[in-house]
Amino acid sequence: MIRALRILASNPLSLFGLLLVVLIVLVAILAPWIAPFPTHNGAVVDFAFANKAPGARNWMGTDLVGRDIFSRILYAYQISLTLGIVVLAIATPIGTVVGLIAGYSGGWLGTVLMRIVDVFLSIPPLVLAIAMMGVLEPTLTNAMLAVTVMWWPWYARLVYSVARSEREEGYVLAAEVIGANTAHITFREILPNCLPAIITKMTLDMGFVIIIASSLSFLGLGVQPPTPDLGSMVAEGARYLPDSWWLTVFPGLAILVAVFGFNLLGDGLRDVFGVDE
Amino acid sequence: MSSVLNINNLTLSFKTLMQRVDVLHGIDLRIEAGEKVALVGESGSGKSVTARIILGLLQETRSAVVHGSVLFDGKDINTLTRKERAALRGTAMSMIFQDPSSSLNPVFTIGHQFTEVLKRREAKISQADCKKRCLKALIEVAIPEPARVLSSYPFQLSGGMNQRVMIAMALANQPSLLLADEPGTALDVSVQAQTLKLMHKMVTNHNTAVLFISHNLGVVREFADRVYVIYRGNIVEDGPTAALFANPTHPYTRALMAAVPRITGTGLPQVPEFSDEFLAPRVSHGVNP
Repeated sequence: MIRALRILASNPLSLFGLLLVVLIVLVAILAPWIAPFPTHNGAVVDFAFANKAPGARNWMGTDLVGRDIFSRILYAYQISLTLGIVVLAIATPIGTVVGLIAGYSGGWLGTVLMRIVDVFLSIPPLVLAIAMMGVLEPTLTNAMLAVTVMWWPWYARLVYSVARSEREEGYVLAAEVIGANTAHITFREILPNCLPAIITKMTLDMGFVIIIASSLSFLGLGVQPPTPDLGSMVAEGARYLPDSWWLTVFPGLAILVAVFGFNLLGDGLRDVFGVDE
Repeated sequence: MSSVLNINNLTLSFKTLMQRVDVLHGIDLRIEAGEKVALVGESGSGKSVTARIILGLLQETRSAVVHGSVLFDGKDINTLTRKERAALRGTAMSMIFQDPSSSLNPVFTIGHQFTEVLKRREAKISQADCKKRCLKALIEVAIPEPARVLSSYPFQLSGGMNQRVMIAMALANQPSLLLADEPGTALDVSVQAQTLKLMHKMVTNHNTAVLFISHNLGVVREFADRVYVIYRGNIVEDGPTAALFANPTHPYTRALMAAVPRITGTGLPQVPEFSDEFLAPRVSHGVNP
């Protein structure tokens, strides 16, 4: 653990990524206390201050109905992080189990499982999510569902390839030779050796899930107003560019910072675990 | 006398969609209790698949067709159910591999893996009891600081240490048969000699029968009581080690022995890939001396 932190800290970029991620998680958790206008995360209007440029009262300006953009970004981070965590918490175990079973047992079962995975992978991810959201009601839960459905096959693919190479290792044969059953070998011997790759991918994916979720709400298919969401904030302001630039630029920067942070951290973790691309 | 292992007319072939490849053409092999038997042959001669059949692993592969009888303690491995075969592995028989370091799972400590092995025999063994037995087993294979080794990961130990750990684990459950598939080939020669000597002592103390699979005639001569020479899925010569080495009769055995590198560096004679001579009938040097 200490060794891992040292390797991570030895690369300034990874350290920067870690700092960004910690910062984002902190501001998201502390949003109700540190937001200058905590009530502005909901259906509030304050036309006296509508569409104001950044200034002393509103550091990032206000939106079309006078809500503080900085406060809304803090709350939007809550939504983005929740969505990212929930999606990965569901997609990763599903993909991992499918990949492990297909990778270790092989045979017809492995072939069937991986062909199902291929079917999912053959559809461009955003298109699949858009199609699902077009059918479902646009709520946060359904957005999570849509992103999860498009996400698990990537884990299945990753774990499958790692498990395939691990099953050729001597310790798997050694476990077979002492009479260990398939479940034991799959989950107690091979899975722990796949974890570095899985954890690295999860960190890298946090950023991508945030982008996909933002893309969905940019298209109006994700979280609905008045709930603040980075994607829908960008979409809302896009019509008023370049005059009211703060409506778009700050939420956009917020997405950039989050994705950048998670990607840098993921790269750093990859070095720590020695995982190849 | 009842044999630990008695293989009769064992044949193996792999079938693919288009064809059938015969790998073993009727092997007869017998190991008495506590006897050290070597199976010698070149790569691809069928040594390792024989070990996998004895362990009952190949019988579970759909493409493998196994015929003949493999009597282990009087039970035919070929006719046992999958579950019965799994129950034998790790308790009544165990195996040691070429590369000790990769045979241990890199993410668990030696202690953790040793515990799993002991639990194969006694599922409800207590923590303290387990630790005591691990330590005792490690001391037995001459490992210094056994407590430190138990809390180490395989990659923190040298290859020779890992090999000794493997030997201790393989014998921990008092198996009646130990399969050693070219043990220590991945180690350097001096460490290999040391661990083989240790293994010899250990199996003698535990009265464990060994099937020693190797292509290294020098090692076999040191280690085994009796030798079987295998060539392209046939046993071509067998007999007590001394008798076989004193008077190698089958053309293939002679060619194999001539191909042992010597320190004088006079060059190696080529063992031909195929030779009609090698198809000569089996030579047997009688049973035990």
